[in-house]
Amino acid sequence: MSLFDFFKGQDAETLARQAAADRRRQEIVTAIHRQRLPKHIEARLHDSRDGKSPWIATLTPAELRIVRSHGVRPIAAVSASCWLHYGFSWTRGHRQGWQTALRRLGEEAKAAGANAVLDVKMRTVPIETEDSMDFSLIGTAVKVAGLPPREDPIIATVPALEFVKLLEMGIVPTGIAIGAEYKWLTNWQGGANLFWNGNTEVSALSNLWVRVRERALQLLREDAEEQGGGTLAHTHFSEMFECEGEKQKRYLARYIVIATVVNQVRAKSISPDFRMCLDMRSGPTPLSGTSRHHQSYDSTEREGAI
Amino acid sequence: MSNDLPAHARERLKGLRTSAHPSGVFTSDFSVNEFLLVRKAGFEPIGLCVGSCVYHVGIQYRSWSKNQELDVLSKAMYHARELAMSRMRAEAKAMGADGIVGVKLTIKRMEWDRHMLEFMALGTGVVHAAGHEGFRAHDGGPFTSDLSGQDFWSLLHSGYRPVELVMGSCVYHVAHRGMLSSLGTITRNIELENFTAAMYEAREIAIERMQAEAANAKAEGVVGLDIHEGSHSWESHVIEFFAVGTAVLPLHQEIAPEKIPDPMMVLSVND
Repeated sequence: MSLFDFFKGQDAETLARQAAADRRRQEIVTAIHRQRLPKHIEARLHDSRDGKSPWIATLTPAELRIVRSHGVRPIAAVSASCWLHYGFSWTRGHRQGWQTALRRLGEEAKAAGANAVLDVKMRTVPIETEDSMDFSLIGTAVKVAGLPPREDPIIATVPALEFVKLLEMGIVPTGIAIGAEYKWLTNWQGGANLFWNGNTEVSALSNLWVRVRERALQLLREDAEEQGGGTLAHTHFSEMFECEGEKQKRYLARYIVIATVVNQVRAKSISPDFRMCLDMRSGPTPLSGTSRHHQSYDSTEREGAI
Repeated sequence: MSNDLPAHARERLKGLRTSAHPSGVFTSDFSVNEFLLVRKAGFEPIGLCVGSCVYHVGIQYRSWSKNQELDVLSKAMYHARELAMSRMRAEAKAMGADGIVGVKLTIKRMEWDRHMLEFMALGTGVVHAAGHEGFRAHDGGPFTSDLSGQDFWSLLHSGYRPVELVMGSCVYHVAHRGMLSSLGTITRNIELENFTAAMYEAREIAIERMQAEAANAKAEGVVGLDIHEGSHSWESHVIEFFAVGTAVLPLHQEIAPEKIPDPMMVLSVND
């Protein structure tokens, strides 16, 4: 479109297209508000479920092999978002945001006729807005043959290869657990101001860390308990700030921990034997995870699968 | 500029190894491992295929407080990538390649003009060593794929072959919060449904377009889907959702499925 086109006015075709786009946009807003899937997304997922349109998978070609060997059939790419405004608490918002997105991801997977979502990646769209953040998830909805029937699909933040690796050993990754906590400390007795002291521990702040972390991990355990036996915590994010209060300085500590929940039979031996291998890949290898599984927490740069 | 190759490009391609010139020299950007696995998969590299395009992106009018697709920008990103890709494919065709492996698609912004973008597609043209033509795309031309040599081998040994590098793009303007500024006084955590809706719409458009390309290529599925969220130095609320993957078809005669062994469990002992 050139500047000239802009002054020409719009033809009927353009207007009809815009009206269709507006209707679509309205349908998405309504669907989010009523906690259901937008109709056209549901239709696309149904088409993929019924084999009317090509399947889409975030899996790598090497992972496609497990389609053959482990009875995992890719169906569709599923995704979910929740953009949250922090009126009350940034920290606890993380729990609320991811959990809303997880619920929506599960609904998309159900519409695709899947019993599991593999390779779930956590994303945050890089748009800066005040006091708010985007929580997005994307993964591949699959049908795993021989998985016991369950009402809600399994949501696994591990790549497909890791998923079957765990399955072979009788361990089922079932979901994501989140523990998030923050606490304020007001510096009443000046315990955090040790300018005149020598080398010494800042106990007030050490203790603050302990309390915040313990609580976050406790929340993580509670969240995981509802889903399965244990957690593999892949993401730890923590920050501490000093803020000017009215009379005293205040300190804020926050801790967010995110984990993949796994279900296992305890004390059962790990069945297959391991063999050493020569890896022909250059760079990251699927043997140690295929890609970064989140980019939402900058301070935790550890890559790869959990 | 059409897709007819310039004379110097034809000259360069002539010296390359083809079925007609078995003694020619091949060029590729393969690593050692990639090279070995492409050979092992029964293919031989012929030459580097390159396509590029410098593109001027038109002006897009948008309203400050509305979620909307910026169709002028979407079309620009699409058209420019398509030009780069089709020029690369024309080079591959001219050298008689059955396909292009390891396509890298890059976008650069020109320093002097923020409306000017450079698109480049680069990959290695390969031929089937035994002259099997069943690996070509649905239109009889070379297949394209962003898979590395290793992934190419793995894909063939999963019982699939690459058909086409498929992509879907949607450049989207996320509404500013002017109308929502009263939220500043709300002390609950609440979802900004309008923002969520923007993510949903933009991502859905990108995925749908990619899926439509795969259906056009008569593919059975798409492997290696990745969705990039890029801003290409546009203003802060404009974002591109770019879905890219390789459309695949099952192998029928090329490798019989029963010949494919089950993968072996190994655990990498390096970190």
